[in-house]
Amino acid sequence: MPTILHAVAGYFILLFLVRVLKRRAGSQMTLFEFVLVFLMGGIIILSTVGNDRSVTNCTCAVMAVGLMHRGVAWAKSKSPRIGAIVDGTPLVVIRDGVIQEEVMRGMKLRTEDLEAAGRSSGVTRVEDIGYAVLERNGRISVFGKS
Amino acid sequence: MGAQPFTSPVEDSVPKVGEGEKAIAVGENLEFQRKWWRFERVVWAVFLVILVCDVMGLLGRGWLAKAKATTPELTLDYERVARAGTPSVMTLTFGDGAIHEGKIRVYVSDSVVKPLGAQRIAPQPAMSMVGDGGITYTFDASRAPAVVQIALEPSFPGVHDFTVKVEGDQEIDGKVLVVP
Repeated sequence: MPTILHAVAGYFILLFLVRVLKRRAGSQMTLFEFVLVFLMGGIIILSTVGNDRSVTNCTCAVMAVGLMHRGVAWAKSKSPRIGAIVDGTPLVVIRDGVIQEEVMRGMKLRTEDLEAAGRSSGVTRVEDIGYAVLERNGRISVFGKS
Repeated sequence: MGAQPFTSPVEDSVPKVGEGEKAIAVGENLEFQRKWWRFERVVWAVFLVILVCDVMGLLGRGWLAKAKATTPELTLDYERVARAGTPSVMTLTFGDGAIHEGKIRVYVSDSVVKPLGAQRIAPQPAMSMVGDGGITYTFDASRAPAVVQIALEPSFPGVHDFTVKVEGDQEIDGKVLVVP
């Protein structure tokens, strides 16, 4: 029983911690997936299983984390608000050719991030980007001026 | 009765950027994001406070977690804030008046054994006697200072009261906050 409570607490603590971290530009994983990576990587799992490293205990802990993940995914599918809280929303970084300084500052983005995103989309100069969107998974989608 | 036709119009509710045919459905919610940024600033301030409290020992294992209680014949050092499943030590230092005919008799309440999780006692007592809601340990002793240590490992969170008393001396009542 304590293990399951610890796993539930660990899941939400880590989900919250990762969520309040900034989205890393260029990241290929959503923050949502990071939760599992961290948890199963063993940070919270140390306090989750404690001294009981039996197969039964560890299996129960992993099952509890899986169940939490499924529950949060279900809640996200039912409520856009919960989805926005857990994953955030996409943010427009360049709007009609104009860099949105508020978003750049808020998301700790640098012009180099926009240049890199532009290059990966075949746009060589930031000035040629019409729209750039920071996606929920940290990737920047670029649309050239046309 | 036939199936009712759908009457709700199909709408695209995703917020867009751009105009006309070049509009891009992004789903941006900048107002929500502004609130989130404010929330993040508060959260990081709270995290900072928690970390400072931790460094100072308010969450256990630090300067403010240490406590000392004294009677004429006993000085008790313990941690007023302990962590569940984490070792801590209770140190009893006896004065000359605690030694009677080469023996020290000290009573500790059951709570030291159960919720506070006494793991071992050093040195081993010559005799242990249970009763009165606790254990009375008897140690062979020559003269002060005489020190006994009880290794604790609290098993579950909460506020746990305990009592320690040396024969012929005042009792010490204390509380230990065990955090998860």
